[in-house]
Amino acid sequence: MEGLVLKLPLAFQTLVTGLAIGGIYALMAVGYSLIFSILNFSNFAYGMVIMLASFLGYFAMSGLGLGLGPALLCAMLGAALLSFLNERVAYSSLRRRRAPPLYFMISAMGTSIFLENMVYATIGSRYNAYPELFAVPTLNIFGASIGKMDLFAMVFSVLAISALTFFIHHTRLGIAIRGASYDASMAELNGVSLDWLIGTVFALAGLFAGLSGVFLGIKYMAYPNMGWITNKAYIAAVIGGLGSLPGAVAGGFLLGVLETFVSVYLSSTLRDVFSFSLLILFLVLMPSGLFGKTLEEKV
Amino acid sequence: MLDVDCISVCYGQIRALRRVSLKVPRGSVVSLVGANGAGKSTLMMTIAGALRPTEGRIAFDGRPLPAGPHRVVAAGISLVPERRRLYANLTVRENLLMGAHLRRDREGIHADIDRLCGLFPILKERFSQYAGTLSGGEQQMVAIARGLMSRPALLLMDEPSLGLAPLITRQVFSIIADLRRQGTTILLAEQNAHQSLEISDYAYVLESGEVVLEGSGQVLLNDVRMQESYLGIRKKNGRPVR
Ligand SMILES: Nc1ncnc2c1ncn2[C@@H]1O[C@H](COP(=O)(O)OP(=O)(O)OP(=O)(O)O)[C@@H](O)[C@H]1O
Ligand SMILES: [Mg+2]
Repeated sequence: MEGLVLKLPLAFQTLVTGLAIGGIYALMAVGYSLIFSILNFSNFAYGMVIMLASFLGYFAMSGLGLGLGPALLCAMLGAALLSFLNERVAYSSLRRRRAPPLYFMISAMGTSIFLENMVYATIGSRYNAYPELFAVPTLNIFGASIGKMDLFAMVFSVLAISALTFFIHHTRLGIAIRGASYDASMAELNGVSLDWLIGTVFALAGLFAGLSGVFLGIKYMAYPNMGWITNKAYIAAVIGGLGSLPGAVAGGFLLGVLETFVSVYLSSTLRDVFSFSLLILFLVLMPSGLFGKTLEEKV
Repeated sequence: MLDVDCISVCYGQIRALRRVSLKVPRGSVVSLVGANGAGKSTLMMTIAGALRPTEGRIAFDGRPLPAGPHRVVAAGISLVPERRRLYANLTVRENLLMGAHLRRDREGIHADIDRLCGLFPILKERFSQYAGTLSGGEQQMVAIARGLMSRPALLLMDEPSLGLAPLITRQVFSIIADLRRQGTTILLAEQNAHQSLEISDYAYVLESGEVVLEGSGQVLLNDVRMQESYLGIRKKNGRPVR
């Protein structure tokens, strides 16, 4: 009994820490899923947009001395533009030729390698720490300590995802995105300009890349090799079901919490082994994830 | 209003339409009759802008048809596609809104939704239900309503009676007759030759991608070749036998 009472705070602390990182995973996974839902392929270049956004936020704060709000805005707009350009440069011509998804995947990988190496070559491989934002960085709630920044990130993630959910269900453009994700050529027959719509979806996903890039940078610093962590977006999206927004959110939080439990209760070196095993497990046993559309429905 | 002039359409090596010409005058119902694989859907998709002819021209209201389906809708042509193709992941209401995608007049859109709910009571009953959960007949009503939401000057309907029970089919044809009375111009592709010829001003018969016969609905109904091939009427001793 005594032992249980003593251990409960650790479990609660682990849960809180897990939710904090899960919120960022959810943000990343949402952007990722948004692109998957409309083009039906895994855009591995998305992780690099997140990495670049993290640098944008870093330069905005350290270089230009901007506050967190303006820096977030800069990173979001910059990432939206980068994501949009990613589509125009790497995928739009494949799309017009109706190339199979494999070609998109290869183009995405090429784009990733290019962007990562470009950062190595121009900015360098250093780890760049964001300036400290709070004099006292942590907060105590019910015995668990949580970073103020983590709390802010979590609240902001939930807000951003709610806003996206509202947008996608209640606006003309949002409904068009959902319709086109089901049957793009029918959407065109209803007057949707696919070029325009897909550009918008990439820009929208870019906004989410911008947010998560800054949050990741504050938590883990900005550096070119961030791909190991942006890959978590893919894992979270697969767990939730590729292309499903509620799935991406659930997958993100679930992955964050499970991972943190593994690193606290087993070993932190096992954390990524666990995450990637989970990915393989889902891909093999449950490829449509927790909330995913069944494969028949996708066709 | 619509003037299709000598178009050919290919899928890779396969030529699905050969030098097809047809005209749809304003305010009329024109039907397109033909067996499976004759090229009806190909022609519909081409007029809707989803396929490009390799030769020939299509003019709408005296102007060349714009390139790209979304521009064709903007020009006033709307397609109710074969097999309905509703957005199964959207509600009935959202499917109708997709049909109105290019319109910005909120009030007009809502007025049209109300009007269509009057025309198809099933829409109101299933308003917030996902379209994927509706029966085939219900889906067809939604598909027709969605096609009308853009307020098209020309409505293309590709086999609206496909897979429907005879009673529902009759309902669909009476809706087409209603639409015509309200002044909508319609190009109708049908295997159900008898019913479509009865409500048509003019009809074309497609066979292996070519127009083999054309004429007014009444003339084709009485045509011997038509009766043998499409109307299921064989002549014995000069008298029609069903
Ligand atoms: N996407 C495609 N790729 C290759 N060939 C096609 C394609 N779509 C149609 N065809 C071919 O083009 C021809 C015309 O097909 P189409 O669908 O236009 O016929 P249809 O008159 O609508 O037939 P149905 O009454 O069965 O709907 C057929 O021979 C068909 O095999
Ligand atoms: Mg057809």
